[in-house]
Amino acid sequence: MTRRGPMLALLVPGLAVLVLAFLYPVAATLLAPPDGDPATVARETGALLSDPYLLPVIARTIRVAVLTTAICLLLGFPVAYLISRAPARWAGRLLALAVFPLMLNTVVRTYGWIVVLGGNGLVGQVGAALGLGRVQLLYTETAIVLGLVQLFLPLMILSAYSSLAQQDPRLEEAARGLGASPGRAFRQVVFPLALPGALVGCTLVFAGAVTAFTTPQLLGGSRERLLSTLLYSRVNVSLDWPAASAVALVMTVLVLAVSALSGRLGKIGSTTS
Amino acid sequence: MILRRPLLSLLTAIAFVLMLGPVAILIGVAFTAGSTLAFPPEGLSLRWFAAALEYRPFIDAFGTSVLVALVSTALALALGVPATLALQRGRIPGRRVVENLFFTPIIVPELVLGLALFQQVMVGLQITALGTLVIGHTVLLLPYTVRVVGASLALADPRLEEAARGLGAGPVRTFLRVTLPVMAPGIASATILAFITSLNNVPLSLLLTGPGVATLPVEMLNYVQSSFDPVVAAVSVVLLVLSVAVAFATERLAGFTKVFGR
Amino acid sequence: MEPVVRLDRVSHRFGGRDAVAAVSDLDLDVARGRFTTLLGPSGCGKTTTLRMIAGFLRPTSGRILLEGADATSTPPEKRNIGMVFQSYALFPHMTITDNVAFGLRTRRLPGDEVRRRAGEALELVGLSHAAGRKPGELSGGQQQRVALARAVAIRPSVLLLDEPLSNLDARLRVQMRRELLRVQRETGLTAVLVTHDQEEALELSDTMVILNAGRLEQQGDPREVFPRPANRFVAEFLGYDNFPVLPGAGPVTIRPEHVRLLPARAAEGADEAGLDGTVTAVTFQGSHCLVEVDTPAGGDATLRSVHPGDGLRPGDSVRVALPRRHLVALADAAAPAGADR
Repeated sequence: MTRRGPMLALLVPGLAVLVLAFLYPVAATLLAPPDGDPATVARETGALLSDPYLLPVIARTIRVAVLTTAICLLLGFPVAYLISRAPARWAGRLLALAVFPLMLNTVVRTYGWIVVLGGNGLVGQVGAALGLGRVQLLYTETAIVLGLVQLFLPLMILSAYSSLAQQDPRLEEAARGLGASPGRAFRQVVFPLALPGALVGCTLVFAGAVTAFTTPQLLGGSRERLLSTLLYSRVNVSLDWPAASAVALVMTVLVLAVSALSGRLGKIGSTTS
Repeated sequence: MILRRPLLSLLTAIAFVLMLGPVAILIGVAFTAGSTLAFPPEGLSLRWFAAALEYRPFIDAFGTSVLVALVSTALALALGVPATLALQRGRIPGRRVVENLFFTPIIVPELVLGLALFQQVMVGLQITALGTLVIGHTVLLLPYTVRVVGASLALADPRLEEAARGLGAGPVRTFLRVTLPVMAPGIASATILAFITSLNNVPLSLLLTGPGVATLPVEMLNYVQSSFDPVVAAVSVVLLVLSVAVAFATERLAGFTKVFGR
Repeated sequence: MEPVVRLDRVSHRFGGRDAVAAVSDLDLDVARGRFTTLLGPSGCGKTTTLRMIAGFLRPTSGRILLEGADATSTPPEKRNIGMVFQSYALFPHMTITDNVAFGLRTRRLPGDEVRRRAGEALELVGLSHAAGRKPGELSGGQQQRVALARAVAIRPSVLLLDEPLSNLDARLRVQMRRELLRVQRETGLTAVLVTHDQEEALELSDTMVILNAGRLEQQGDPREVFPRPANRFVAEFLGYDNFPVLPGAGPVTIRPEHVRLLPARAAEGADEAGLDGTVTAVTFQGSHCLVEVDTPAGGDATLRSVHPGDGLRPGDSVRVALPRRHLVALADAAAPAGADR
């Protein structure tokens, strides 16, 4: 009934913008930036992956992202579970409270950590009071992980919640009725069934942590570089475009690889269940 | 609930303190009478709010941010809504592939997109920072509009349109009287979500700056890195208040968690 | 003999202080080895009652005794109950066998006993061939049988059935009723079924408990309850729809099949009450017609009669005869439960 011609025409402007303002520039920058060609980028990427000063940046980026994802899962999943089983009025409020930080920009959200973690900050004061000497968490990996957990917890909560809210609460009751303790019912029934949502959450958090800029910039500084802050300094300070492209390429591949992997895992999960 | 699930309640408390604690502390810092980032604040005053309002770059950057957010939201809707319509209602060959293509800007790191636009568009084509910002944000928001409007359209029964046609309405009338009203809530949600997403963006906007042109979050980031006074805390509180207002307005219009909880 | 389940003045209120009670001051004994049904319209508190017996809800006041011991605050996993849900609630990520074995494994039974008893339970419901499959691959009726097997396998002290047949289509529902009764009789288990379907309750129950607005209206053997509803609520719920007002008598009811229609000005029998009326509607029902008659003398009540229907038209005058032995006296009309709010 619907004719194809006019419908295709509706797609064209959007596709044109995607190709001209997204796919082409990104591909050009990743593979053949202004001062280089694919060979230069390949050489730079090789250097990045073998340079004893840069390899730790990649390792640190992955470590920070993995830690952030793990902590977000550990905290976010139980929160999502609690919200999904709370009475409707409370669930709505808690969910809104968890979502609200997403409305604030990352500077607003991260800035407070400087006050908390800085030498004269709350942690410093508590440390001094306990006689631990000068506790300086700012510009450490711990600070970056804390900041990123704050940033991405809402995403994990939302992803897990969407899975948990769809789950028939009777399943958990059935397990309890059959003699399973709350912990056993959670491990054997609730969690396995909400795994797809948790997996989506993990992917979002991991990709977000790998690409986040504000938080590592403010809380890690130049001391604890991640790929994103390295990329920025290569563009802004050293103005070395092929080298920047190499970092961008590694970052992009890392994110795409993890998304692809979780997509595969999700598929395997859905065929076995 | 709390008494019955102590571990769960403890983890939830930790999570909420982590998510909101640093923001709450910022409120305290903003009202300090002292001149350092100290908590608890050293006396109460509004001096940093006054300082923020007098700091020209923030005012300009706020204007830039709102302008970019408005224009790119409008453009993303203008491109995204027709595309969604085609994807959901036209029998497009290779629909999944095209749809995924529209979502790719979400997967590619924003910093990389920013770098690409900086190199290829701003430097390469000599387009102004403002123009490049609008282009970049439009690309960034396009997936949101396609997904959110698409979700509302996918829920609606396509037979509504067939029913309208069967009752004698032509294609244009069917679109205006049936399809558009069905899409309206989705478009409203997409508008709010896209606007806030643009307003808050940092990584994409980071490199797209020019003389006197930068978005507010980027200007705030630059300020924080060079000075240690609480001006940015005051700006943050202003943004926080605005966000609360938008959140309540959104709740009344379309449901806050429905819009931002995607 | 000691009841398996005893509810002692149990109440449950949802929500805040001034919330409406879902169940108020309910006393109930569930006899061992018998089939008890909780019957009532939606919102009558029957599911709340069942969930309190299971331990998913805590009574706001009152006590619940299982096997004579106070179990009011015992968590569900320590109650040894077998629960069957309307939505089946089979674990979708486990095979049929693993579903049925779940409760046996939580009891840490040895592996070969788990296998044997899960196998027996599946055999009992005739689904041994589906053992290795996932719930999603089975039909609704099969899934409900697996749910039944899963609940029976643990040899619960009481089998709780929460509208287990409501999601099935009409034919399957009747078939599953027989199946349910057979399994209960074969295993000798005590069963409590929640339903809003009076036919289901009549067919299955040894004891039928009728609830309304959180209160008990009547209980007993269906053969005694059905012909003798205690009050207007129970009568209406069981399908009585004639409530004539007879001079010098309290509230009564009578089933349409017992109402006789005579020609106008004909005399009713000595053991019958008679009323003049006008036919307002004649509805063809297949084997008979349902005739509605307005009776100005009977308190303006509309009476329904099952009648061959031949020759009767709206507007015709008739004499309505009500055999006294079929008239059921009801508790006074002012007492329908729910009026006490």
